[in-house]
Amino acid sequence: MKVTMLSLLMVSTIGAQVPVAPSPDLAGEKNGENIRNYNVVNSFETGYRYSTVGGSIEQYRSSVNFGDGIRLLGSSLIVNSKNGHGAFFDQITLSTQGLGNDPYESVSMRIEKNRLYRYDMSWRQNDYFNPGLVTAGGDGQHLLDTQNRIQDHNLTLFPQSNVKFFAGFSNSSQSGPGYSSIQLFDAAGNIFPLFSNVHRTWREYRLGNEFRIIGVRVNWMHGWEDFKDDTGATLATPGVPGTLLLPQPPAANLNSFQARDPNHGTNPYWRAAIFADRGLFHLNGRFTYSGGRNAFVVDESAQASSPTRFQNVITLGNADRPVATGNLNLSFTPTSKLTIANNTSVYNVRTLGNSFFAQFDSQTQTTAVQFYNYLGIRTVANDTSLNYQISPLWGVMAGYHYSNRLITSQSEFTFAGATSSNPAEQSNQLRSGEMGMRFAPWKPLSVLFSAEIGTNSHPFTPIANADYHALSGRVQYRAKAFRLTGAINANYNANSVSLTSYASQSRTYSLNGSWTPRDRFTIDAGFTRAHIYTIGGIAYFLDQQLIQNQSSVYLSNINSIYTGIRYEFGSRVDFYVGYTRVQDLGDGRATAASGLGSAPELFQAVQTFPVVFQSPSARVSVKINNKLRWNLGYQYYGYREDFSSLLGYRANTGYTSVSFSY
Amino acid sequence: MLQMFGRRFLLAIVLGGACIAQAQTNRYVSNDLCKTCHSAIWNAFYKNPHFKSIASGKEPPENTGCQGCHGPAGNHVDNGGGKDTIRAFSVLPPEQALDTCLRCHGQTLSRANIRTSQHTLNGMACTSCHSIHRSQSVHALLRKPQTALCEECHTDVRAQFAMPFKHRVEEGVIACTDCHNPHGSFAPTWAMASRPRHVDQAMANEEPCLKCHADKRGPFIFEHLGVRVDGCETCHAPHGSTNSRLLLRPVVFTLCLECHNGAGNFGRQGNGVPAQTSNHNMADPRYQNCTACHVRIHGSNADSNFLR
Repeated sequence: MKVTMLSLLMVSTIGAQVPVAPSPDLAGEKNGENIRNYNVVNSFETGYRYSTVGGSIEQYRSSVNFGDGIRLLGSSLIVNSKNGHGAFFDQITLSTQGLGNDPYESVSMRIEKNRLYRYDMSWRQNDYFNPGLVTAGGDGQHLLDTQNRIQDHNLTLFPQSNVKFFAGFSNSSQSGPGYSSIQLFDAAGNIFPLFSNVHRTWREYRLGNEFRIIGVRVNWMHGWEDFKDDTGATLATPGVPGTLLLPQPPAANLNSFQARDPNHGTNPYWRAAIFADRGLFHLNGRFTYSGGRNAFVVDESAQASSPTRFQNVITLGNADRPVATGNLNLSFTPTSKLTIANNTSVYNVRTLGNSFFAQFDSQTQTTAVQFYNYLGIRTVANDTSLNYQISPLWGVMAGYHYSNRLITSQSEFTFAGATSSNPAEQSNQLRSGEMGMRFAPWKPLSVLFSAEIGTNSHPFTPIANADYHALSGRVQYRAKAFRLTGAINANYNANSVSLTSYASQSRTYSLNGSWTPRDRFTIDAGFTRAHIYTIGGIAYFLDQQLIQNQSSVYLSNINSIYTGIRYEFGSRVDFYVGYTRVQDLGDGRATAASGLGSAPELFQAVQTFPVVFQSPSARVSVKINNKLRWNLGYQYYGYREDFSSLLGYRANTGYTSVSFSY
Repeated sequence: MLQMFGRRFLLAIVLGGACIAQAQTNRYVSNDLCKTCHSAIWNAFYKNPHFKSIASGKEPPENTGCQGCHGPAGNHVDNGGGKDTIRAFSVLPPEQALDTCLRCHGQTLSRANIRTSQHTLNGMACTSCHSIHRSQSVHALLRKPQTALCEECHTDVRAQFAMPFKHRVEEGVIACTDCHNPHGSFAPTWAMASRPRHVDQAMANEEPCLKCHADKRGPFIFEHLGVRVDGCETCHAPHGSTNSRLLLRPVVFTLCLECHNGAGNFGRQGNGVPAQTSNHNMADPRYQNCTACHVRIHGSNADSNFLR
């Protein structure tokens, strides 16, 4: 049993292609130790992680981001009462990962007392670094180096009872430095770099209850959400002309810039759900209402020289977004082999608000505009599906979906005493049908196939689904020690009107498998090929001349492979080696088309984006004694963009650690 | 001869009686009998969430212990074991396994749509993902850690999470269930079609992206209508991408211009998503980075063109 558990753990770790640390091998007795009325299983792994990076450190930080230092790489603590009647709790589970300065840290915990309460907590921190990398001469002007923290707390009282109570709290925050830009002083003005101090928080408090009445279970929750964004911006490099990108006359030296735009919102909501099983009939529904409200102020001042110029901008107002949704599902199961289901859903969202905008400019006249905008989306959808198991070998499913969307909008502004209003309304219908079959000629073998075809009468954007179809199939062989899965997914969409056309196709083929001939040996490998091809009509200006009837083409051919082999030498040494590689072959061209000439050449240059991202890794874990293991791992990351050598990097990372139990 | 006939007669009566008893009645037995043969499972069962029903001591046999799931074990005991004498999940058709589990677990909001979920429609049973006695997760009794389990079938998604830019699922800071409900979700009200599937609604009724990216939520006075109407996937690949910021294109201007081409029939007024104005010169690199000026591309309170 112990060996089986260990081997299963190893298989899963190989399959997930996780970073090489923390180690999956836990220290201590798998069955734990008994302390009074409780059983305790614990394991902690602490060690040193290192990394050396050559090439673009920014690119490395945006895609991998592991650094140096001592970490509590992982820990696990499980406490169970042995008779289910613990004094204050019956179960505690606590697991952590990356604590101590890894870019990806998490803690999750559950404390539970049977029939009385259950408390779940999770805390996560993600160091988010993004230099805003773009090709084709991009400057990465929107850098973010922030920390995102998310925590959730949920308390359920009487979790095994027919009457439950829920209380919860969630908090999400993002803070840290950022780099942004602003375009001043007119439509053809310069772009100036800004430094911003990102500071955003979102909090939610919720209370709820679940009970049963006349055979229907009712679950309701009331929540209060608050959002605050107090990010401000200042000029990053005072006195420097606006040369973040190429200067554009009239050039100006921006000497100072300040922007404060506090944006605070609240979103109280109600959510109610019902569900019931009455013999052959099943009913469930979910209904929500939220009343989002947002109040904001923008206070911006700029002072420039050469030519001398002052500009102040004040904007204030508020925006509301009430949203009501409803889902009602009815399903009928006359036999365990047949299910007929119908779902009706309604979505009604209105976004509306007023904004007063005033601009005081030393060269142009004062501008004061009052805006009012409204956007309403109402979608009604109905979906009917049938699922029938014809025989143990064959099963089929089919469905039909219809949705109707009405979009009403109004864009209104008042300037110099005159009001201009611009209302619009449109509706569209989407109809789609789907069918699928499954075939199991042999217990370990299953074959699945499904197809969907749909049409949208009036898509909102040129790239939205209009006439589309999707195919997917999967063949899976699963025996005790061997698993092999082959899958194909294909999506096609055509969206054409008289002046433009858009077409996209994507096909993904994958094959993967794992083999565990013995408990001490596992091999896992897979290959995926994704082909994406899109062509869309575009229009743009080139030296004030409108260019039409051209297309933007994007072609991507991504090959992705992974493999992992794990072998256990004796009962003490566990060895793992793995390799992952993702390569976008693009359209096969070896060098980038020139992007600095005319616009057509520019579009040709970005039709494809060859890139290679690979990561071999190896790890050895040695059992010193029953309570101690020593781990050593290495992982290489290599990234290369074929068209821009400046953004490539090579990173050697690794760790050494001890796992212990006490 | 008579002795032999008598023995055969007696055997026939015994076997016949046993068969009739098996066919007609099965019975619940003491759970203590189960541990006689299944001691390893029994000895560790106090760590299993299903132990709650045993610990309570109040549940009837059909709702508790081994027989709560495996059915009455009388025949199983009488016959000395065997998968055909008890409800053995390893040989149970998926729909029957589902029915068995839903006897207790159907009364949970998160599983309200399991009968119509794509997993069920494709012949998956609860035991496809959950292992009651050999699980590797404490909470959900999954037979593998969650990410590995999902990726075992969703191989295309696994490849997306291996991309250089991705949500940090493999790194353990995000889980598939942060966005998806594997037991089936309500139809996505914000979308027109029945896709995306198995996606949990966030913030009471919106796309799950907004759970974490709350600053993109608004409401804004000037909404980017494409985002609000068709969702985040208009520009982003949610799992992973070879492009920075999970964008669908390696450069931002093609992403923007494929919609903003002014072609009729689209957009708010049905007369086209506005094309760029004549002061934009695509030969000039400054205009190839649309978001250098249009910084508040997800929505703005101060500028209809998202400049501030």
